[in-house]
Amino acid sequence: MSAVTAPRSQNKPRPGGTLYRGYTGMWSWVLHRITGVAIFFFLLVHILDTALVRVSPEAYNAVISTYKTPLMGLGEIGLVGAILFHALNGLRIILVDFWSKGVKYQRTMFWIVIGLWVVLMAGFLPRQIANIILEVNGQ
Amino acid sequence: MSTVEAPRSPYARTQRSGTNWEKWGWMYMRASGVVLVVLIFGHLFVNMVSGEGVRAIDFAFVAGKWASPFWQVWDLLMLWLALIHGANGMRTIINDYSSSVTLGKVLRGAVFLSAAALIVLGTLVIFTFDPCPSVSPEQLGMLPSFCPPQ
Amino acid sequence: MATAVATQAAVPEVQAFTITLIIRRFLPEIDEEARWESFDVDVYSTDRILDALHRIKWDQDGSLSFRRSCAHGICGSDAMRINGRNRLACKTLIKDLDITQPIYVEAIKGLPLEKDLIVDMEPFFAAYREVKPFLISNNEPEAGKERRQSIEDRERFDDTTKCILCAACTTSCPVFWTDGQYFGPAAIVNAHRFIFDSRDDAGDVRLDILNDKEGVWRCRTTFNCTDACPRGIQVTQAIADVKQAVLRGRA
Ligand code: HEM
Ligand code: HEM
Ligand code: SF4
Ligand code: FES
Repeated sequence: MSAVTAPRSQNKPRPGGTLYRGYTGMWSWVLHRITGVAIFFFLLVHILDTALVRVSPEAYNAVISTYKTPLMGLGEIGLVGAILFHALNGLRIILVDFWSKGVKYQRTMFWIVIGLWVVLMAGFLPRQIANIILEVNGQ
Repeated sequence: MSTVEAPRSPYARTQRSGTNWEKWGWMYMRASGVVLVVLIFGHLFVNMVSGEGVRAIDFAFVAGKWASPFWQVWDLLMLWLALIHGANGMRTIINDYSSSVTLGKVLRGAVFLSAAALIVLGTLVIFTFDPCPSVSPEQLGMLPSFCPPQ
Repeated sequence: MATAVATQAAVPEVQAFTITLIIRRFLPEIDEEARWESFDVDVYSTDRILDALHRIKWDQDGSLSFRRSCAHGICGSDAMRINGRNRLACKTLIKDLDITQPIYVEAIKGLPLEKDLIVDMEPFFAAYREVKPFLISNNEPEAGKERRQSIEDRERFDDTTKCILCAACTTSCPVFWTDGQYFGPAAIVNAHRFIFDSRDDAGDVRLDILNDKEGVWRCRTTFNCTDACPRGIQVTQAIADVKQAVLRGRA
């Protein structure tokens, strides 16, 4: 019989209990929720700034031009990333609900969502980064 | 005292009153989601990827789009579907996490009011929009090229 | 002789090792709040978490409290959160866990904590009772006969007959954790058991019960329940079946 010594406790136990170690299904839900809330708040602001077209061309252009900064360019990448994930994962949820094999393939579909997300982001990023660089160089 | 919180109220589900909308809310999230994929992906493609991307957006760009009923209807649908979808989603989340009944009511009311106000505002903006408003001389250059000279 | 040696060599040596269990303790008489306590235990590679808990209770600290009865995955008493996942202590082999790290054991979440690993299961059973988990039939079987059912009809709810009411699924659900008002996967699984039973006549009553603010529509398809079920029940599939039945208006 080979005896091994007890492992040392390295990570401090969390006072309120451990974090549930769910799998892809749980984490995709967490992300779906966070992205949904983020997009909602973006949309509130977005409709307000679009409404400036009814004030005057000057007001609209003034606000839009403040968006044309590298920082906002990065923010837009985040927004597009969020909406792409929410949309693709939303379609996955719909398939889980309505396709008879949806539950069986939910994990595969999660990885397809991630794959499509990477492909779509790879299509969008060059364009956006080019725009950010042009903005830095004064259009 | 336990730190694993007990459910906030003893096990007693409130009696149902009136129509039960949960089923319809659930259906709406899915139906609107499918349509929104097309609308939002189209919106993002036209505004951010095609042509010069975001750099091209200004008053003349919006005027050029909303001069066509096609984009007016597109944006109108997107406005209504997305805000109702988002507001209903926020309602679900508030129901999950708000620990007091009053706080839940206040938050749901705030979400409902902001969504309703923005639907009205956005709809008015689309329908009352004039691509060639009469403007002060220094703004003339900001109008789309198809406007008659003022 | 030669064969005897060969057979002996084929029997793998049972390994022994010392593991560390970090258990979330709560003794209502003395503790204000739950606290973590660490125990070193000598175990064999054939042991389960339940055996390690027994070793602690019998040899180290008799105050450690947990439920168990059958010790063989049938009674459903010993669901607990082991290394962050809901499992039955009696079905979790220690050698399947990473024993180079301490193993965390705590009570399942979302039900009132009573003592150590014991929670008050009453809210869970109340939701179970609410879906009428018993046969409701409008007609008597032929005298001296059982109620007959085709193999295909039986197949429809076979999976959900396996439930042992351990609550691993319901207490793995992030929606159940929020306020404990959601019916929860286990109640839906047991409603499914009768809704799709051709011998039962109250499917519509149960569909109506679950078409509730706290019913199937609160499910967010996180699949935690399916992953947690020690009986391998496709819990999320069962919930999806019930949702579709509510939409169709029949089983
Ligand atoms: C950063 C990315 C985005 C940019 C640059 C952008 C730009 C614009 C512009 C220029 C307009 C004016 C009309 C038009 O072009 O059709 C507009 C309107 C609109 N956008 Fe976006 N958009 C973005 C993302 C989104 C997203 C993610 C949504 C949906 C959640 C959305 C929803 C809307 C709606 C509903 C309108 C109409 C507003 C109204 O009726 O007043 N946009 N957007
Ligand atoms: C692009 C197309 C979209 C699709 C396919 C989509 C799909 C979905 C689906 C299927 C759900 C229900 C999830 C569930 O029941 O578990 C959902 C929830 C939600 N959506 Fe969307 N959605 C889209 C766009 C949007 C937009 C534009 C917003 C914000 C205005 C938004 C905000 C939300 C929120 C806040 C939730 C609630 C999340 C939760 O309960 O966890 N979605 N979405
Ligand atoms: S469905 Fe599985 S996890 Fe849920 S109570 Fe029944 S046996 Fe336990
Ligand atoms: S002790 Fe009976 S199921 Fe584990």
